[in-house]
Amino acid sequence: MGRNLKFEIFRYNPLTPDIQPCMRTYRLEEHPSMTLFIALNMIRERQDASLQFDFCCRAGICGSCGMVINGRPGLACHTQTCDLPNHIALHPLPVFKLLGDLCVDTGVWFRNMGTKIESWIHTAKAFEPSVPEERMDNALANHIFELDRCIECGCCVGACGTARMREDFIGATAINRLARFHIDPRDNRSPADFYDIIGDDTGIFGCMGLLACDNVCPKNLPLQDQLGIMRRMVTIESVRGIIPAFIRNKLQGCGCKQKC
Amino acid sequence: MIASSFPAGARSRLDFWQVASGAILALFICVHLILEGSVVISPKLTDGIAWLLEATCVAQIAAPCLVLLILFHFWIAARKMPFRAGELGVFVRHSRCLREADTWLWLVQVFTAVVILAGAFFHVYTVMTDLPITVAGSAKRLHSGWMAFHAVFLPCVILHTGIGIYRLAVKFGICSKAARNRVRATIWIVMGCYLTLGTLALSRVWFLE
Repeated sequence: MGRNLKFEIFRYNPLTPDIQPCMRTYRLEEHPSMTLFIALNMIRERQDASLQFDFCCRAGICGSCGMVINGRPGLACHTQTCDLPNHIALHPLPVFKLLGDLCVDTGVWFRNMGTKIESWIHTAKAFEPSVPEERMDNALANHIFELDRCIECGCCVGACGTARMREDFIGATAINRLARFHIDPRDNRSPADFYDIIGDDTGIFGCMGLLACDNVCPKNLPLQDQLGIMRRMVTIESVRGIIPAFIRNKLQGCGCKQKC
Repeated sequence: MIASSFPAGARSRLDFWQVASGAILALFICVHLILEGSVVISPKLTDGIAWLLEATCVAQIAAPCLVLLILFHFWIAARKMPFRAGELGVFVRHSRCLREADTWLWLVQVFTAVVILAGAFFHVYTVMTDLPITVAGSAKRLHSGWMAFHAVFLPCVILHTGIGIYRLAVKFGICSKAARNRVRATIWIVMGCYLTLGTLALSRVWFLE
């Protein structure tokens, strides 16, 4: 017989503002290999049909089930109850617009972020549908793919102390995405262009190196490493004309194999 | 098109100056504590170093410059501090829930920054208005009530410097994810060494015959 789990779940529906937000308690017997996703479905099916939470793929791919699990953002489908204590508190991800209970709207946030950082390839080349695609070095393609693995779950944003304090901060996920375009040879943007996008306190300089984004990322993306590379590039760009070029070039090198 | 010699727009370079001033101050602290620590070997050695720095006017010039640099560093870094209404509460609640050591370290830096800002002024003022700098003079000051000040000031300076260097390395990608635990452990060990050296130096001056 499994443990008797006590779930404390945040309940609030913005469509019924007269009912105050509260934490509601549910009890459930633990099963082997039970994930939070399974537990939440069981609660909804057997105890409270009004409980709202998002899910889609059940495999840590869609990023829909991001929530705050005992104080730390994570994916419900990725989290096994056996890794948690008997008492499990669930909250919606902060920063994002609350849709109800554990549901948040990450879509609008990510769309606005994508627009702000111009999250697309910038090239002067006209698209030729009949011409074969240009070849790319395999290592570089893998590197780009590594950064493209972000599932936009919003856990890094929910774990970021800066994003909690300053709502205009673009977050690690945005800078990671920009880093992906920075290493893509098809993107013709220069360091000056990247500086224009993220060279202020709402961008890369707003990051205080709190590292929670890096530690909670369910896909284990090297977020802080990317932030470091972008920060160095943008910082050096910010002192163009003040620091001699040979010193800037020296500082630019980081020992990694990435273009930076 | 010829690239402009300055970046487009009048964006601030505050982050660069924050890092540059912080790095200079960290370097100064590391050297300062080692020179101060020479009292453990011999008070005469420390007196000799102090005499040399005064005779060459390095101490007289460096002291006010350092106070100004500390003010400059604080002024720039303060833009990220949780001064606005509710920000500190939000951040503390967030840190408590998250239980993330690196997030707490930033709060430690904020707290020690405020202590250092106030303490550095008094430290420099009392030393520089009582020239020449001697171990005997320091012992007199410690016995006249400054020991408690140093018992708080020293750990704050070491913590702020150590955490600052670690976070600088992380923020600029010098310390990658793979090396982070090793670098953090090294920084804590170095901070422990500096704290031991500082404590030994204070004890040596306190018990000076």
